[in-house]
Amino acid sequence: MSIFTDPKLGLIPGAFHKKLEEQNRAQNWYDWAGFAAPGVLDSVEFEYFALRNQASLFDISPMHKYRLIGPDTTAMLNRLVTRDVRKISVGRVGYVVWCDEEGMVIDDGTVFHLGDNNWRLCCQEQMLTWLLDAAWGFDVSVVDETHSVAGLSLQGPTSYAILEAAGFDVSKLKPFDLAQIDHNLMISRTGFTYDLGYELWCDWDKAEALWDRIWKGGEHQGLRAIGYEAVNLARIEAGFLTAGVDFQPVHGTERLHRGQTPFELGLGRLVDFNKGHFNGRRELLSKRESPRSLLMRFDVEGFKPSQGSLIYNRRKKEVGHITSGIWSPTAKRNIALAHVRMPDASRSSGLKAEIYTLQEGKWRTRMARLTPVTKAFFTPPRARATPPART
Amino acid sequence: MKVENRYDVIVAGAGHNGLTAAAYLARAGMRVLVVEKNDWIGGAAVSRSLHEGWTYSNCSYVCSLLRREIARDLELPKYGLQVIPYEGGASFTRDGDYFAYYSDHNALKREMARHSAKDADAYRGYSRSIMRQCRFIRPFLLRDAPDPASLHPRDLGELAYLVKKANGLGSRELGETLKFWTMSIGDFLDEHFENDLIKAHLAGSGIIGTGLGVYSPGTAYVLLHHYMGDIDGGIGAWGFARGGMGAISNAIAASFKEHGGTIHTGSGVEKILSKDGRVEGVALEDGKVYYAPVVASNMDIKRTVLHHIDAAELPDEFTKAVRNFKIRGSSAKLNIALDRFPNFPAAPEHTSFLRGDLHVSQSLLELEKAYDDWKVGRWSEKPYIDMLIPSQIDPTMAPTGAHMMTVFVQYAPYDIEVDGVRSAENWDEKQRNAIAETVLDQMSVACPDIRERVVHMEVRSPLEIEREVGLTEGNIFQGELTFDQLFFNRPVPGWSQYDLPIKGLYLCGSSAHPGGGVMGAPGANAARAILRRETRHGRMKGYAA
Amino acid sequence: MSQFDAIIIGGGVNGLIAGTLLGRRGKNVCIIEKSNRFGGMASYSVDGGPTLAHSLYNLSPRVLSDIGIDPQHPVLSGKPVSTVSLSEDGRHIVFKNEGVFWSEGAKHPESDAWTDLTQQLITYGGLLRQLAEAPPPGGQKAILSRGGLNEFLRLAKLGIGLKKLGKPEMRRFLQVVLSNVHDIVLDDLPEGSVAGMLAADAIWGSATGPRSPGTVFNLIYRLGHGGNITQPAGGMSALTDLMVEAAQKAGCVLMPETEVFRILLDDDTVSGVATNDGRTISTPIVLSNLAPKLTSLMTGHSIFDIETTRQFRNIRARGTAAKVNLRLKDSSPLPGLPDELADERLIYAPSVGYVEAAFNPAKYRQMSKAPVIEAFKMQTADGASWLSTIVQYAPSDLEGGWTETAKEQLAEITVETLSRALPGLGDQIAGKQVITPDQIESATGAPGGHWHHAEMSLDQLLTLRPANGMSRYSMGPKGLFQCGAATHPGGDVMGLAGRNAALAALEAQP
Repeated sequence: MSIFTDPKLGLIPGAFHKKLEEQNRAQNWYDWAGFAAPGVLDSVEFEYFALRNQASLFDISPMHKYRLIGPDTTAMLNRLVTRDVRKISVGRVGYVVWCDEEGMVIDDGTVFHLGDNNWRLCCQEQMLTWLLDAAWGFDVSVVDETHSVAGLSLQGPTSYAILEAAGFDVSKLKPFDLAQIDHNLMISRTGFTYDLGYELWCDWDKAEALWDRIWKGGEHQGLRAIGYEAVNLARIEAGFLTAGVDFQPVHGTERLHRGQTPFELGLGRLVDFNKGHFNGRRELLSKRESPRSLLMRFDVEGFKPSQGSLIYNRRKKEVGHITSGIWSPTAKRNIALAHVRMPDASRSSGLKAEIYTLQEGKWRTRMARLTPVTKAFFTPPRARATPPART
Repeated sequence: MKVENRYDVIVAGAGHNGLTAAAYLARAGMRVLVVEKNDWIGGAAVSRSLHEGWTYSNCSYVCSLLRREIARDLELPKYGLQVIPYEGGASFTRDGDYFAYYSDHNALKREMARHSAKDADAYRGYSRSIMRQCRFIRPFLLRDAPDPASLHPRDLGELAYLVKKANGLGSRELGETLKFWTMSIGDFLDEHFENDLIKAHLAGSGIIGTGLGVYSPGTAYVLLHHYMGDIDGGIGAWGFARGGMGAISNAIAASFKEHGGTIHTGSGVEKILSKDGRVEGVALEDGKVYYAPVVASNMDIKRTVLHHIDAAELPDEFTKAVRNFKIRGSSAKLNIALDRFPNFPAAPEHTSFLRGDLHVSQSLLELEKAYDDWKVGRWSEKPYIDMLIPSQIDPTMAPTGAHMMTVFVQYAPYDIEVDGVRSAENWDEKQRNAIAETVLDQMSVACPDIRERVVHMEVRSPLEIEREVGLTEGNIFQGELTFDQLFFNRPVPGWSQYDLPIKGLYLCGSSAHPGGGVMGAPGANAARAILRRETRHGRMKGYAA
Repeated sequence: MSQFDAIIIGGGVNGLIAGTLLGRRGKNVCIIEKSNRFGGMASYSVDGGPTLAHSLYNLSPRVLSDIGIDPQHPVLSGKPVSTVSLSEDGRHIVFKNEGVFWSEGAKHPESDAWTDLTQQLITYGGLLRQLAEAPPPGGQKAILSRGGLNEFLRLAKLGIGLKKLGKPEMRRFLQVVLSNVHDIVLDDLPEGSVAGMLAADAIWGSATGPRSPGTVFNLIYRLGHGGNITQPAGGMSALTDLMVEAAQKAGCVLMPETEVFRILLDDDTVSGVATNDGRTISTPIVLSNLAPKLTSLMTGHSIFDIETTRQFRNIRARGTAAKVNLRLKDSSPLPGLPDELADERLIYAPSVGYVEAAFNPAKYRQMSKAPVIEAFKMQTADGASWLSTIVQYAPSDLEGGWTETAKEQLAEITVETLSRALPGLGDQIAGKQVITPDQIESATGAPGGHWHHAEMSLDQLLTLRPANGMSRYSMGPKGLFQCGAATHPGGDVMGLAGRNAALAALEAQP
């Protein structure tokens, strides 16, 4: 008997697979929640500059999506997440985090307020069990839409013009607004790039038709399909966190004590202690003033990307590590996100990253000074202008 | 007294643990003799050819628990040991479907979702809980269990280590750990899953080899006992030893011999000799007598103490505790030579999961009922079966095109009831054939043509396992894995550190901490204890030290 | 709007005790009870029949002294009763403090072994009582706090107690408490009625059989206060009346026939309760005698963490004990039972195997066809004679539900089983009452009609009782405590859960 392969093994095609396959000259697929997702379709540079300079299309369908409907949905969500979702009105999107009972972040994501007591939660991690647990005792139904709703991220300076050309009027959409175009399509002015951009959500089986329509609209606007590597550059420039990279979703960790509080991730602004009880509130109240480490943004000396480097303080003691580090092509800076333990995180001076580089068979190490940066590395005004510019 | 009759250490029984202890001691420079009653070595980790062309793993049949520290210290690969992981498995339903298990998490999730979307999502939390428990327990396997009643610095040290590890968990996780250790696998699975078939598939490891049901408290630990092993660091992975489980014993034996060890087969220990509370050697069934200041028994505690030692040499309280040690036969085994690969009509073509462990239990309650039968002296009407066809991966087990199948059966009592009388003696040819028929009926749920495929079959009731391997009642773990017989309670309170009330006499089999399975840990731990107590500079070397 | 220092929800035994204790420590306490009587499950009865609980075996003297009831009070000074294991051949076996005897008076050959084992377990029970009389260990964060120090001292005392036993006994203790009653009993006794009696005493009120690991703990729990069994003079309601009196004496306001529908909160702190009749009563402390799930309905689930609600949803509480009251035609003696044994505690449990076999059907939601039974002959206030029996196993989630037919079947099985040892019993019966676990649940709120609100299994004891992370009586918001049988150390008419909870509340908010 030969050694067979099993049909259930391997990556499966996503909502836009046919379209992506047509363009995937690099044949560089990676595993995103079991789907074949493009790391690079053509070349990273080409795709990244399309994103920052024209427009880009990125398939975000593998994200986990859950619909929460029922009379208690707002109450249930407010107990789940740390923000007060009552302040997110219908037609708005909110960035939220949620914690376990010890105040450790389970995941971050976006909530779409689609209608009265009708929400969609969109996140990186699988969340069905947790949402069902959270909904126990509430009149809320939880529907996993991960495989029934497709998502497409259209980002870049010409994205508005492309939607216009494709026949969608989104001129009134401000950042974090959403519009139900028809029963089959919702567009939100959101993204993972801190640039002008939109996310389009439609039924899984209507995905390819949507792609074609957008693609046609982008014919003269420099629209490119892109893979994750380009997106990753943009999100680091924007200072956004990636689950499993910049923080460890606590339900995904086998080892103990790997969790972090929102305060430790610099997301304290998302925690509202005045809204009543929410998961982890009692622990967060006591942990608010005593973070064990901080997630920081750094300007890194020199030009070598610092991803994965260990960080040392003045006394050469190891006090943290770089979670994401790149040379930013747009900001023209060497930038990084990093975990630094207290108290060095609050002093934050005299920190150095130990960067290893391999140059044609020779390993070198250099100590690069780290300078804290408080804001995102790249925040173009076009990202927020309404009505948006066409270029 | 001839010099060739004298050794530094005599190990009674050439099971994998006895050989492991012997190999470590030989490497430490001691003159070691292993005596074995059978003409072959290996105990329950044995490969034998009972039908020409086929090799059986007659007793134990898969490998995961063998500590990699031991494999490395004893250089087992150099002596021929190859362990190949198998991936996956399945439970077949009576209506022609199946649930397949994959080690690839995407495939597993897709397959679980076919049965229950909720369970597919819940699996991550379940597996995380198990993995956390594995991470917690693994460091204890190659350490001594402390005596909580003792103030000896070593015991206090081990206790402190335990407290430190427990403290490190934090109060919530410590609570989860205590809960896990005391709950039943049925309750644990019910907390996570809704689908009967998925639960039944996962529950098997909680009852293999024990006289407990899936809803008996403590069976979650038994499951952990099966998950805490690893292959090359892949925690919980199981595999085949190339050449059958005997390859493990053979490799250890080869490692032992190369370091000067001697193995004497074909005659078992008649008596462990002792005088004035000090061990002197062993007298064999064939009349030979060997002398040594240290004897390590690889036999289970009951056999060692109640059959081979003069009762007058031991304190009554100790003997009583040993008599009360629970070592219950609950498993049977079928080894089958197949003319070709059986047909599994439910399995899709080109599937990989048939290379793993296959089952036909439908629900937790069906498993629980199987236990009820055992309690009253009957083998289960619908037994839990764990069947594998290692010849798919290991070409040495069967002729080309033919296959070898191993079928583990739970529950089968040792003292079965026939005509109102419960006795192990009832296990005759007729009963063995009858249980084989029950098992074949179960198997045909998965592969209906199984009866036509059989070329030769070995049926092992608990009685055969006891008679051949020497395990009391045929218990595969040399003693139940219940709280009252684990850690500092194993085998009996006060004697959890491999020594016995006769000076120089040690226990190196699975009756000792950390218990059964082809792990080698009791053997390595016993060797460490012997070196520490019986030699002047006795520190063991290696990763298991 | 009225105001109290503390409100107790649920006037069962633990609620009364918690309230009384707080009252005696100077708190202004109100005890609110939904029904028209206090005493909860202990004194629950139907149409004036025998009460649910019909004997005392582990009522805590420490509790009595803490709530100001004299242990010598006439109600409590009933004569200890012996246990009689009924036998089909008419040679019943009598278990007394002095040993085990045949009903005709001769000493039973297993008497010494039984006495030794029982005494050993009573000794262990005495040690464990130190743990029962305080919050479970492990919850105090700082050892240097007052609570932490007390806990340390208590554990040290337990350690010294263990040390005093001597090494072998200490080791044996650590083995026995984790073991199952089947093995421990059959190690020392042959299979039969004497062993069967111990097996039965290890499973009352629980969803386990003698082979289940951890059942020795149940037996020790029962024997933890010496093992004497008494019946309060005037019945169980006389005892609960005494407790009501103690509560009133301590200044507690008792509100029967009042239902709390909401526990009010302000900024994660208890502020009061709202009752069904429209009243709002303010208080900074609420002690709930209800199981966590019911308490959570009163606060709203959203004030608890998701993990907490998951934990208390997973608490196992499957009642398995039904009460079958057989009304007798007159007070004449039971057939087949010598006169001098007429008032003793009768049990039907001929062997360990019998008890285990009785448990089997309960696992599959069936009632035992050959159940384990405990019976007392007694008179109710109206002068009627009854045989008050506890019948196991009768699972709360019986397949098909507890229909009238199913109840009738259970009553018949009960009479049939008892008649094997008391031939002709059927002729003496004038009427039957069957109180099933689901009925107990709807009458008292006890989840699954379970005596302890939560199964007394090792994974739901001590620090894990009622669930991991909820063991120190406080629950969620500041000022909310649980004081019922689901908390450490557990239920029965013992009272320690209520007492410990009151002390925990006092410590948190003096």
